[in-house]
Amino acid sequence: MLPRLIIQSWRHNLRRKALAVVTVLFAAALVSALLAVSIDVGDKMAREMKSYGANILIEPTGQAVLPALLGENASPLPSQDLLNESDLPNINNIFWRNNILGYAPLLVGRAKANGRDTVITGTFFNKSFPLADEPGYHTGHKVISTYWNVSGEWPDDEKTEALVGRKLAESTGWKAGDTVELTQSQRRLRVKITGILETGSAEDQQLVLPLVIAQKLFNQEGKVQSIRISALTVPESQLSRKARRDVESLNAGEYDSWYCTAYVSSIAHQLEEALPGTAVRPIWQVAASEGVVVGKVQLLLIVATVAALIAASMGIASLTTTSILERTQEIGLMKALDARLWQILALFYAESALNGLVGGLLGCVAGWGLAQLIGRELFGAALNFNWIVVPTVLALSILISLIGTWIPAQRIAKLYPAEVLYGRH
Amino acid sequence: MSSSLLEKATTQTAAIETVGLCKRFGQVTALDHVNLRIHRGEFTAFMGASGSGKTTLMNIMTCLDTATEGKVLLDGRDVATFDDEMRRKFRSEKIGLVFQQFHLIPYLSALENVMLAQHYHSVVDEPTALKVLEQFGMGHRVHHLPKQLSGGEQQRVCIARALVNEPPFIFADEPTGNLDEENEQVVMDFLKQLHSQGRTIIMVTHNPDLARSANRIVRLHHGKYLGEELENAPKV
Repeated sequence: MLPRLIIQSWRHNLRRKALAVVTVLFAAALVSALLAVSIDVGDKMAREMKSYGANILIEPTGQAVLPALLGENASPLPSQDLLNESDLPNINNIFWRNNILGYAPLLVGRAKANGRDTVITGTFFNKSFPLADEPGYHTGHKVISTYWNVSGEWPDDEKTEALVGRKLAESTGWKAGDTVELTQSQRRLRVKITGILETGSAEDQQLVLPLVIAQKLFNQEGKVQSIRISALTVPESQLSRKARRDVESLNAGEYDSWYCTAYVSSIAHQLEEALPGTAVRPIWQVAASEGVVVGKVQLLLIVATVAALIAASMGIASLTTTSILERTQEIGLMKALDARLWQILALFYAESALNGLVGGLLGCVAGWGLAQLIGRELFGAALNFNWIVVPTVLALSILISLIGTWIPAQRIAKLYPAEVLYGRH
Repeated sequence: MSSSLLEKATTQTAAIETVGLCKRFGQVTALDHVNLRIHRGEFTAFMGASGSGKTTLMNIMTCLDTATEGKVLLDGRDVATFDDEMRRKFRSEKIGLVFQQFHLIPYLSALENVMLAQHYHSVVDEPTALKVLEQFGMGHRVHHLPKQLSGGEQQRVCIARALVNEPPFIFADEPTGNLDEENEQVVMDFLKQLHSQGRTIIMVTHNPDLARSANRIVRLHHGKYLGEELENAPKV
């Protein structure tokens, strides 16, 4: 009889039930969208943060002690202080290789450009770098430095082409299509400018060439000075901070846990293992910003989720209070018919749970749509809707409905049948 | 009033007895030291004007309300000593209620309304519920909602609900108060029929003509017992 009673009761006064369902629906949609965003935001934000450049720098051990990364006075160092280009594939052999979004080697020096002393940087733009398991792999600044703004065309990594920094272009008048003659010692090269580069940093005053051309110019074939790496990392934790202070201080369990988590420090550690003779250091400004931003965004989402749940519970409480006031005679009659208190409470809680279930299901669908919208608007790509969200949101929807019913349901115990049946309440 | 009948009624063992029963709502005294004995098999009418305390008296007798002072003995047991569960169980086993406003659950059919009383009493028995409805001429309307039934039909469902668990006592509060003359007669005939089957009927009414259907009329005025008369011999 109870299921029959619940179903008949739920079908009665559908307008009020619809209001309760819509209340849960809004909360469930918001919560499921926020949960989906919260789960995926780490990855999405990390990728987004990658547009601000590399977060790991690899240098030869000797050079790593120099304070400046790429100073204006940089010049090709003796060969023993450079890295071998042939070691680059090792980057893709570490445990966290799938988290390596890309990298760009650098070779920086000075040369005369049309007779003017100029800083020249050789690097990868969008270099085809076939791997055993990924033949179409490309890497370079087009991948890792999405903040690089190029007016014109990106140079071909195999041709004598170049980008001219915006400030350098302004002072020299060089523009896309011009040819510049480079002179270094007795070596001469002519490069064609394909575009103007604006990065907001040192590159704005440099001439940026394909690595292979710079190597020829500086007579450093097969050598690179440093490597910038962009890796997907997880926010810092107490463990990673401990490892950052001293890896040796970790016990075996902590070490395994740290090693198998994509902390920037553990990825750097693995890169150092893969590239002997190098010093790998995280660019903490970028790495830390990622962790802080992702952490704060997740906290914000949690606060918004909790607020949505509380608001929905209050809405349900208000609706249930009204419903109980409207149904006092029905409750009084049930008591007069000798219903036990729990039997009456069960009816109201079951109705609420049903509202929560229906609202939660509809909310999941709406939340999925909302998550896609948020993904597209904020990250330019659909969010991965994690299916764990569905049972979580259903459970939360039913829970907020039950919590919203709990306080008004206390009134049921206090109703005297004689009072409500004869209108003396 | 026949003194021999009155004597007989008062010497029998009372099924329900009130002793110095008082009920106050704030400053208002609804019942003022009412002493009363109701015997098994009687058809008793509580009569009085509005505010005379007849419904209050019925509510206390049915354990729907509690007395401010005095006591109610049901089958010789003081209901004040009952805890909530005992009171609920006693009411469930012994009492059937018929209301002036019918008080049917609006979203349940006639049949489901009757079955609801079974559900709260013990177990649902649909054939029995159907049979009781058929007894009251409602066999063709069992799946109708209350709003699809006339007042008389709703009251018949209400009576069927009161009877489905076969309680020995039927309390009816103004059972024809919302009915037309024709349905009033139908309902009174049902109550007389139940009485003839041996049930104890206590009916609240302000209508002297209806009260005469009972074999005992108890008069109340401003919460006080005013007196009583016997219309017919009590069925024992």
